[in-house]
Amino acid sequence: MSETKQASNLLELFDKLNDLKSVFKYGEKLIPIVQSLIDFMNETVPLLENINTSITDSTSKIPKAAHQINDVTAATELATTEILDIVDMINIDIDTIEKDLKSITEKEKQKLDIILKLQNAVKDNSIALSLLQKYEELNSEYKNITTVLTALQKIKNNSYHITLSLQVQDITSQQLSAVNHLISGVQDKLATLLVDFQDTKTEEFEDRKIAAPQDAAFNPNAQYGKSGARQELANELVKSNSNNGSRTTQDEIDKIFS
Amino acid sequence: MELKFLIVDDSGTMRRIVFNSLRNLGYNSYVEAADGKEALAKLAADNSINFVITDWNMPVLSGLELTKAIRADQKTAALPILMVTTRGIKEDIIEALQARVNNYVVKPFTQQVLGEKIDQILATER
Repeated sequence: MSETKQASNLLELFDKLNDLKSVFKYGEKLIPIVQSLIDFMNETVPLLENINTSITDSTSKIPKAAHQINDVTAATELATTEILDIVDMINIDIDTIEKDLKSITEKEKQKLDIILKLQNAVKDNSIALSLLQKYEELNSEYKNITTVLTALQKIKNNSYHITLSLQVQDITSQQLSAVNHLISGVQDKLATLLVDFQDTKTEEFEDRKIAAPQDAAFNPNAQYGKSGARQELANELVKSNSNNGSRTTQDEIDKIFS
Repeated sequence: MELKFLIVDDSGTMRRIVFNSLRNLGYNSYVEAADGKEALAKLAADNSINFVITDWNMPVLSGLELTKAIRADQKTAALPILMVTTRGIKEDIIEALQARVNNYVVKPFTQQVLGEKIDQILATER
C-alpha cells in the first residue's frame, strides 16, 4: 500500500472520529431533554391512571343514577295514582251527599207545601195557626242547604283542578326519560374511552348498561306551564289548516308567522 | 249518536285524566289503549268507536304513526282524531296536521280546551 493511500485512510478515520465526537456532543445535549421527557412520562402515567380510575368509577355509577331516575318516575306515578284514587273517592262522596241533600230539599219543600195547606185549613184557629207558623219558621232551615250545595260544587271543581294538575307527572316522566337517554349516551362514550384505555372488550360493559327502556318514548322539550302560548300556536295552525281546505305546507305556515 | 272514545296514551295517569275530563263534559263511553298498536287492535275489534284521542310519544307505535295507519285504512279513514301531546313546537304541530289529525291539544290541557276541540271536530263532521 502506498504512503498516499495510508494517509488518505487516516484522514478518513479522523473524519469519522470527528463525526462520532459530534454525535456524543449532540447526545450530551439530548440527554437532559430525554430525561425531562421521561420525568414528564413518569408524572403523566399516574395522572392517566387517575383519569382511567375516575372514568371506570363514573361508568360504574351511571347505572345507579339511571335506576334512581327510574325509581323516581315509578314513585311519582304511584303517588299520582293514589292521589287520583283519593280525588275520585272524594268526588263519589260529594256526589252522594249532593244527591241526599237534594232529596232532603225536595222533601222539605213538600213539607212546606203541606204546612201552607194546613195554615189555610186552620186559619180560623189562632192557636193552631200560630203553632204552624212557628213550625214553618223552624222548617225553613233547609234553605241553607243551597249554600252547602254551592260549597260542594266548589269543592268538586277544586278537586278536578287537582286532577288536571297531575298532568305534571306525565310531563316530568318524559323529562326524566330524556335525562336517562342523555346519561345512556354519556355512558356509551365513557365505555368507548375505557375500551381504548384498558384494552377491555366492549361486551364487558354490556352488563353495566343502564336500565332505560330502549323503546321509551319521550319528548325532551316537554314542559309544564299554564301560559297557553303553545296551545294558541296550535289553534292558529289548525285554523289556518282548516281555512286552507287542504294540507298546510311549511311555507304557508312560515308566512303566517313571519 | 252516542260518542265512544278511544283514549290512547302510554301514561295511565293521562288516560285517567282525559277520561275524567270527558266524564265532566258529559261523555261516559270510552275504551283505552297504551300505544298505537294496541289502539289499532281495539279499533279492529270494536266498530262502535267513533272518536280517537291520542298522545304522540308512545312506545311500539307512536300517535303520529297511529294517525297515518288510521287514515290509510278505508274502514277507519274518516274517524275524528284529536292529538293530545306535550309536543308544542310549530314543526310538530304541522307534522301532525299533515298526517291529518283533526285538531291538536298541547299538554297540560284544561277541560275547557278539550271540550272546545271536541266540539269543533264534531261541528266540522256534521
